[in-house]
Amino acid sequence: MNCNHSRRDLLIGGSRALLAGACLPTMRGLQKMQESALASLASEGGGAGYKALVCVFLDGGNDSFNMIVPRDAAGHAVYSVSRGQLAVPQGQLLPILPTSGGDTRQWGVHPAAPQLRDLFEAGTMAIVGNVGTLLAPMTKAQYVNGTVPKPAQLFSHSDQSTLWQLPSARDDVAHGWGGRMADLVLSMNTGALSPAISVAGSTRLLRGQTVVPYSIGTDGSTPLNGTWGAAGTHRLQTLRQILGAAQGSAMAREFADLHDQAIELDGLIRGALNAAVPLGTAFPANFLAQQLRMVARMISVRQPLGALRQVFFVRQGGYDTHDEQLAKHPQLLAELGSALAAFQAAMVELGVETEVTTCTLSEFGRTLTSNGRGSDHGWGGNQLVMGGAVQGRRIFGAMPNLALGGPDDGGLGRIIPTTAVEQMSATLANWFGVPSGEMNSLFPRLAQFATPDLGFMA
Amino acid sequence: MSTGQASARHSPRTASAFLFACVLTACSGGGGDQANTGPGPGVPPNEAEAARFLTQATFGPDDASLASLQNLGYSDWIAAQMALPPSLHRPEIEARQQAGMDTQPRHRQAMWWKRALTAPDQLRQRMAFALSEIFVISDQNDALGADVVGCAEYYDLLVRHAFDNYRELIESVSLSPQMGKYLSHLRNQKPDPVANTRPDENYAREVMQLFSIGLFELNADGTRRLDGAGQPIPTYSQSDIIGLAHVFTGWNYADAAGWFDYTPNYRPMEPWDDYHDMQPKLVLGTTLPAGRTARQDLAQALDLLANHANVGPFLSRQLIQRLVTSNPSPAYVARVAAVWANDGTGTRGNLGAVLRAILVDGEARTGEVGAPDYGKVREPILMQTALWRAFGAVSPDGSFMFANPEFTFAQAALRARSVFNFFRPDYAPQGEIAAAGRVSPEFQILDHTSVIATVNQMYRSIFERVLGDPASPQDEILLDLAPLTTLAADVDALIDRLDALLLMGSMSATLRSILHSHLEVENDNKLRAQDALYLVVTSPEFLVQK
Repeated sequence: MNCNHSRRDLLIGGSRALLAGACLPTMRGLQKMQESALASLASEGGGAGYKALVCVFLDGGNDSFNMIVPRDAAGHAVYSVSRGQLAVPQGQLLPILPTSGGDTRQWGVHPAAPQLRDLFEAGTMAIVGNVGTLLAPMTKAQYVNGTVPKPAQLFSHSDQSTLWQLPSARDDVAHGWGGRMADLVLSMNTGALSPAISVAGSTRLLRGQTVVPYSIGTDGSTPLNGTWGAAGTHRLQTLRQILGAAQGSAMAREFADLHDQAIELDGLIRGALNAAVPLGTAFPANFLAQQLRMVARMISVRQPLGALRQVFFVRQGGYDTHDEQLAKHPQLLAELGSALAAFQAAMVELGVETEVTTCTLSEFGRTLTSNGRGSDHGWGGNQLVMGGAVQGRRIFGAMPNLALGGPDDGGLGRIIPTTAVEQMSATLANWFGVPSGEMNSLFPRLAQFATPDLGFMA
Repeated sequence: MSTGQASARHSPRTASAFLFACVLTACSGGGGDQANTGPGPGVPPNEAEAARFLTQATFGPDDASLASLQNLGYSDWIAAQMALPPSLHRPEIEARQQAGMDTQPRHRQAMWWKRALTAPDQLRQRMAFALSEIFVISDQNDALGADVVGCAEYYDLLVRHAFDNYRELIESVSLSPQMGKYLSHLRNQKPDPVANTRPDENYAREVMQLFSIGLFELNADGTRRLDGAGQPIPTYSQSDIIGLAHVFTGWNYADAAGWFDYTPNYRPMEPWDDYHDMQPKLVLGTTLPAGRTARQDLAQALDLLANHANVGPFLSRQLIQRLVTSNPSPAYVARVAAVWANDGTGTRGNLGAVLRAILVDGEARTGEVGAPDYGKVREPILMQTALWRAFGAVSPDGSFMFANPEFTFAQAALRARSVFNFFRPDYAPQGEIAAAGRVSPEFQILDHTSVIATVNQMYRSIFERVLGDPASPQDEILLDLAPLTTLAADVDALIDRLDALLLMGSMSATLRSILHSHLEVENDNKLRAQDALYLVVTSPEFLVQK
């Protein structure tokens, strides 16, 4: 399918109605999608309301076993032996009291992130235990014997980061699960803007088969300079004529499309943002919070932009804590906690706290063992899900055994995941409104796992 | 082979001698099929071809480099460039410090712009920038954020080694205290059973994944080897990383009084054998025996990496992608990798010879110019250098200040978001390019935001940062529009000039016609020159470097 031509031709033709920031599916495909979306709406009991998923990627591999920590004496003792110098002292942990899930252990949140404790205790946040890339459920014995296939290039940043964004732990499709999810509900949106929006640059997660993500900065979209007055108007007209005439290589056409679309959508988005009521919620200055602030502003203009379904992507860097972990990781968690709390407050302000769900992703957890100054690349890790529709104050999946040499230890405290990434993403996709009949094609290996919906959005 | 022997065998003198021989015989980089690899006597047939070569080999053609290349021909021009002394960054940074002047990360950026735009050793500077996108450190990381001199020294390391031997480069990179801070092997220790710690795996992993052999076994032409089931074959396993992590133990700042008593500095790290693991280590199928010193282990491990069959094709392909084309043919990679394996004098890893082989190859010069997917997207920051070099950028106060290029271009020297650089060599944007199985790495940093930011920076450069314009700030880099304004009286001459310098004479008839229609109704020559320049450097035809 030669998407780019159709996209540009439409832009040049001035037809904005069906742009969706993307190339278009065939008419038959579109009809099929509309039918399935309508069927899904009907099954929701007519709740044709807005829904957005906000994906927060913790870049570098969050040491999530220090974010949520056993605080009972026996659980903390096992944890402390495994983590050595990296252990968070028992007395500093901020207690949380899950109403269900987990196991016999008691849990606490890292003292740097009291907001995470507060969100959890308020029932706005849930924990998903020991999530990671898997091709099939795998015991330690199967991992050691190699009798169950494991994802390629475990423990590598670039590879595992990619696999977390794909519909299965096999890099054999071009699209990400967020983008594909957006494909399947695309027809619910009416505006020209893509339903998949990144505030953190290009990302595989938001690529669909038809949806092409839109990328925005923390201050909104950027207008083209030098377009004012007669000379500016003439120049802009010629510039767009040149973009429209792009020929030769696919690279040239790709750039022309991107550039022309950026000009087109800027007018639309800036107009909507300028007309919007400013957010009252104050956001911290950190970069993650500023990205989430932009997400909140975009959500505030969902109606003029014709958006009923949106997937957002933001990123917090710095989690690759090989050294100085005891100094760096608390700072990162403090930023994460304050940013998530501000964002949730903004959702309340906008009256969409049950319509918007936020989740964390990270390419891997880290080794329980210490290298003397930090931790190295692991595998499974704990993740957070936040929002008014989340079954909060609960733990889903299984929290791992943190003993070195224990049943979950793949070696040096690299924890073998017990919940697959797509079990978590499929649970979110179910809530988002992906028709149930599409789930197994969206997540091709979901059937490998016993619980396709973890229940945290039920 | 010990480090000392490596240094003796791979001396720069050897490389120079080879290049000199090449110049005399107009050979094409050694190895491979001569009919496909060289431009013969090697004088560019016209200005457009000279501009094309200089776009690959420098930060952009200007009148002086065009004249020099057309006079010398490719071989002599390369040899002359390689003979120039390196233009370094650190001495100027330290001179600022010694003069009591403020010295911030933005001053290192300014020095990068000054060298990119004005340094005579353009080939070396361009190669160093390419190397800085493979052997990545970044001041966007806490460890290096305030280390202005250290980052300048690391960049200079790449400048100095640009034409040296890979084995020396990888050792210098590995022992750089800035790399040691960035990938945390500085002061990495042997296992401590009491504290229950083990060596840091960070550098061990990335030196293999990114700086030497890559993830998968490669054929000599850079394509992946496949196993019996048609699957790619991993180059190393987690146990190799653990083995290599033990190798990289025991290194501290030079001249430390004790392991815990050190002063940060910029000299190569030095070993402390008490903190080096002396147990046997298994790395890539070779056992490094017990009782070896940190230096002995390092030398053997780096020999293993440097002699691995992957290194030549893995890094040759990436250098071709940085300079010439995103999707080189396997045959092109194979020809360059053959020079990597043997520069013609029996030396392996001669980077100067490799660079030369990349630039004089038939595929770089003429081979696939007409093919629709030949070429590469210009890196956004190199769009700016090309514009400024082509039309005479000036810094009235001499500072060449451009504080945070990454805000505009999503890239700047030593400012990647991670060790994975601004973009990955295998990145393909969604749509036609990915569907065709092609890659276009630079698109990873081109999105709706950065495209407009880059285009707006082009506008600022052309309309708001002009030499002689009193409204333009004198402490920034300004464009000298006078010659182009003079030329603009003749629309065709103006278009021809832009075509030659910026589009390598390949402007399409469509673009020419659109430009002509636009320019002929503009009567002010300066505005005509500005509009022409702006519309060319924002065009898809400029973006894709053929």
